[in-house]
Amino acid sequence: MSDPLVFDAVALGVLRRRTIAPFETGEQVGDPGFSLTVRAAEVVVALGDENSGVGSLGAVILGMVQPPLGSCRVFGVDLNTLPRRERLNYRRRIGYLPVGDGLLHNLTLRDNVRLPLRFGSELGAAEIEQRTDAVLDRLRLQRFGGLRPADANEEERRRAALGRALAFDPALLVLEEPFAGLTDQVSVELMAVARGDNGMVRGQRTVFISGQSLPSLLHPEVDRAIHVVRGQALENQE
Amino acid sequence: MRLTLASLGRRMARWFARVGALARFCFEAIASYRTMPGAGRRVSGRVLANQLRFTALEGVGLVVLLSCVLSFLVISSAIRQLGQLGATDLIGKLMVVVIVRELGPLLTALAVTGRSGTAIAAELATNTVMGEVRALEAIGIEPFHYLVLPRVAGSIGSVMMLIVVFDGVAILSGLVAAGANGLSAERYFSGVLSTLTTVDIAASMFKGAIFGAVIGLLPSFQGLTVKPDPTEIPRAVIRATVGVIAMIFVFAAAFVLVAGG
Repeated sequence: MSDPLVFDAVALGVLRRRTIAPFETGEQVGDPGFSLTVRAAEVVVALGDENSGVGSLGAVILGMVQPPLGSCRVFGVDLNTLPRRERLNYRRRIGYLPVGDGLLHNLTLRDNVRLPLRFGSELGAAEIEQRTDAVLDRLRLQRFGGLRPADANEEERRRAALGRALAFDPALLVLEEPFAGLTDQVSVELMAVARGDNGMVRGQRTVFISGQSLPSLLHPEVDRAIHVVRGQALENQE
Repeated sequence: MRLTLASLGRRMARWFARVGALARFCFEAIASYRTMPGAGRRVSGRVLANQLRFTALEGVGLVVLLSCVLSFLVISSAIRQLGQLGATDLIGKLMVVVIVRELGPLLTALAVTGRSGTAIAAELATNTVMGEVRALEAIGIEPFHYLVLPRVAGSIGSVMMLIVVFDGVAILSGLVAAGANGLSAERYFSGVLSTLTTVDIAASMFKGAIFGAVIGLLPSFQGLTVKPDPTEIPRAVIRATVGVIAMIFVFAAAFVLVAGG
């Protein structure tokens, strides 16, 4: 069984639309790049400042940008080597919460959660509704499901975006800046949902978080914190 | 002189690159239909229904107004002028050739451009700037399937439907104008019906389909290729609107040349 996520000497830089530009101060030839293995059921957080390259990690995982050097494999597959159609299918195995929320503003929060299921699965309407209800319940979002993103507050939007990422019950969840602007308590709650916790029993979903900071209450909740400096994982802390 | 030529060359190169990108976008959008998942077709069908409601149904009022006024003015003026030459029998031909075949599709397409082409460009540019398009791709939804194809199909269907409305209203409005200017309904209708053929209707529908495709594709292209900067949204709308109007006129002229040939 392949590890859920493996970065192998990936050259990170500053994300510019669909390409990764070299760091403005110039990358050195021979820099080792970003290497990291995330094992099954691990929660790993990669932290770095704006220009560290940490912002490119989500796009690299999803095969939305091709790093100039190195490769990233998800469950043993390098998404950049797949044809476009298969890449889209494969992405449904990965839950993704982009920085901000990426919700469609012409849909309600509920419809945003439901959209990937309606578009990308052969489930019947009743089962889609059932799954959507379960996700909304888990995120305590039922009361606000009818709101459009513009009418919802930041916390509700983030809950809906997490719900959309969880719609397919993915084995790997990639979260970009998921806790920015949220209270520590809400962050802890969302982390438990992301991991798939069931009461006091810890969930078995693999979670990879990238961002600039992590709320202090969440430090005990992550298995590893990686610090990204100029495109490299320089410091590992157990 | 060399600098001017170099600058001109750079602009031409950029323009050709943009045209190439547009051609590729259109080809990929159309080709993507084959890969749309079955479930995706049902969802896109709903987006298409919304597009038809917004473009065709809510656009009927504007098209009826344009058609009424244009037909009344053209037929009234024509009866007065042709009456002096004793050639009012040509009114039917004028109605069919000028309004049904040429101005109907052209004005309908321009009205749809003003209402829906701008809306498509603004909506998709906003989707792009807000990161919604990237998020769609990231959750495994092809933006061509969800955003582009329903809008293109909706534009084609809407323009064709609105052309039927335009032509029908124009013929009726022409009847009112004929009556107001002393031409009997019988003479008016015999002139129109003896000239109107299925070829005219088919040509009108064909133009509608082409114009509709332009109204769906070009604003989608402009909307989805903006830089992630809110100030780009109005620019995308302007580029889309100007581009669509120019292309509609170019196609209209091409049809006349081909049909004339």
